Amino acid sequence: MPPIRDKFTIHSKAVVCQDVELKGDITIGSGTIIHPKATIFAIAGPIIIGSGCIIEESAIIVNRKKETMRIGDDNLFEIGSRIECPSIGNSNTISTRSRVHHTVSMGSYCVISPGVLLVPTEDEVLPDYTVVYGPSAERRTWSGRGKVQEADLRKKHADYLKETLPKFNRLRRGDGT
Amino acid sequence: MGPSVLYHCPCLSTSPAPPPPHYPSSSHQFHPLHNLFFCEECDAVRCNRCVSVEVSTYYCPNCLFEVPSASVRAEKNRCARNCFSCPNCRNTLSVVSSDPPETSDTRLPTSINTSGEPPFFLYCNFCRWDSAEIGITFEKPTGLAAQLQRYEDSAPESLEFERLKEHFEPFLRASSLSSSVAVHAAHPGSAAHSHHLHSTSITAAASAALARDIPGVSKYNPVSRTASGRAHRDRTANKDEMPEYKSRVEIAFVGHGSGGGDAEVEYMRRLRQVQTVARLEQRWGNSWAGSLQIKDLKPLRIPLHSKRSKRCPTCTHILIKPEQKAQSVRYKIKLVAANYLPAISVTLPHLNKPTVTSDAAKRTLMKISPQLVDDGTTLQGLVAGKTYPFHLALTNPLYDPIQVRLSVQRVHVTAPTTNAGASPEKARRPPFAISLPTSHFPIAAFAEAWEYEDDEDMMVDDEDFGTGMRGRDKDGRGKTKTVGVLEKRANVTLIGGEVIIGKEARGSIKFNMLVTYTYRSDDPTPSEGDGDMPKNSKPPEVKTFAFYTVVDLGTIIPREEIRPELDT
Repeated sequence: MPPIRDKFTIHSKAVVCQDVELKGDITIGSGTIIHPKATIFAIAGPIIIGSGCIIEESAIIVNRKKETMRIGDDNLFEIGSRIECPSIGNSNTISTRSRVHHTVSMGSYCVISPGVLLVPTEDEVLPDYTVVYGPSAERRTWSGRGKVQEADLRKKHADYLKETLPKFNRLRRGDGT
Repeated sequence: MGPSVLYHCPCLSTSPAPPPPHYPSSSHQFHPLHNLFFCEECDAVRCNRCVSVEVSTYYCPNCLFEVPSASVRAEKNRCARNCFSCPNCRNTLSVVSSDPPETSDTRLPTSINTSGEPPFFLYCNFCRWDSAEIGITFEKPTGLAAQLQRYEDSAPESLEFERLKEHFEPFLRASSLSSSVAVHAAHPGSAAHSHHLHSTSITAAASAALARDIPGVSKYNPVSRTASGRAHRDRTANKDEMPEYKSRVEIAFVGHGSGGGDAEVEYMRRLRQVQTVARLEQRWGNSWAGSLQIKDLKPLRIPLHSKRSKRCPTCTHILIKPEQKAQSVRYKIKLVAANYLPAISVTLPHLNKPTVTSDAAKRTLMKISPQLVDDGTTLQGLVAGKTYPFHLALTNPLYDPIQVRLSVQRVHVTAPTTNAGASPEKARRPPFAISLPTSHFPIAAFAEAWEYEDDEDMMVDDEDFGTGMRGRDKDGRGKTKTVGVLEKRANVTLIGGEVIIGKEARGSIKFNMLVTYTYRSDDPTPSEGDGDMPKNSKPPEVKTFAFYTVVDLGTIIPREEIRPELDT
């Protein structure tokens, strides 16, 4: 395996803390917030993160495949979550200490509840509005009621962090700047 | 499960001695120390089986509202405010407003959100179930229980039950008191009811309250209730004639949605996805047998909890009484046995040696006695025909030093687990012998917590030191120091004992141990009661208290099983 070549492209409006572990070819979109102690590993293929995502402490995002891992907009990766999905849509919530394997691709508005281990052996795509919850990773489909309020809350959350994080953390800039 | 010590509560039985530990039926008399209470008046241990319990508050575990006991019945034992549990995942539901209309979803919602947009609905934060899915929405976000009440009250089962209650009301009122007596007469001699012999006005009131019919919960025992009522009626020779009850709807015609019946069978036949069937735990909390389908599940009001105070069965003094406020986790009165009796913990040094020792401790131990460490890693368990040391750590909770004496209750020939295939003569021998120091030994007084700030580390060191010492002694002059006081530190004294397991022994090593301790009494008045032997000696009066414990060291590994692995 060839050594991983680092190439970070960070949008000027993104907030990426200095204490974030990045490896490989990573693109981070505007308004995305990455807390300190988060880890993003592009081992084989590149990782592209859209805009408005929030990646909290000790969250781990890994791409083991050759293909590009695409993460959409307005996703929330909570503390201690671990994601290896080849593709993620928009406005998903991956809750605290949950883990999603590389066999799962996510649509939009999906919710992985806290502590869920989603490790199917076959490749599968979570349809939009899927909620995975409980110790045995049960699934149901969310009606979508309340999603506007949730999106609004997510936006406020991001705005607050955008203001607060730089006060207490050094920020990382992309290679270009 | 490691070795354990349980404490005996005589539970008002006539003999203070506990039953033989080997019988499975004896287990109910032994309790972990933290479950026991101590009555100062009677100077006796009390357990949850013998205390009389009173409810001091009802409260909702979610909103912590204290529900007056008068309205508990009316509200059917569930929270009548805004607390609901998710029918899908049992989580607490929250009330949320609807999304603003989709016209300008990114700009404006902040202003709209604060007021909230009707209709409101219940929403589960965990599995994202919402009540709009089953068509329950609210015009305003308050008083939801009242708004949902009509769903509940209009259920055919609920109406039927109300009618039944009305029907039985005059009959029950006439016989409520005598029926509670009849219930007791129906189960004479059962252990739970034997305490009513000792009952006072309080316990009588409590049992009358128990026998009263409570709308929300009486589904649990409709059979026994009616049966006892009928028995009572028979005995009193039709004191009051009951008119026949006509149900509102014939059960045979109640179709789908009320549990059972052809409709349900039909539904099961056509079942495609098992996920549409509600699981047992989702239907368990329902008051009525409902539909099997997940889409018919309704949010339930959260069941109330209660705070209970407990009284001594003989002197009716309060043993434990929680603070009235639901938010508080403190107690007004708390007479727990852990504050009176020395806590005993038992360890088998040869079992947990490799696990508890830190690396450094292990190294020192290796230096002292390398063969001991080997012992620990190879022999996991109690093998028949061998001898093992064990440690009892006694912790004194009192502010005065105490003198303790341990004595093992003789195991009679009754040990039932031993003699499966052995010859009768061999079976008569007890399967194991326990040696413990027979003399008194002191435990220092409990001192304030700052002295023990590194308690846990000390404990481990302590045990290491104990075994280290033991090992050294063993190396030096045989097994002299295995039995005896091994270590005294603060208010903990470590006692070494030894168990010699017979060659043919089987079952578990359990023995009753009488712990007698002497302490200086604060009050000069000698109190009366069981288990107490006031010794009138010199001015600082000394009192003695004795209690039984059962020590369970673990299961014996029979020799035949271990031999191939051991190659001895």
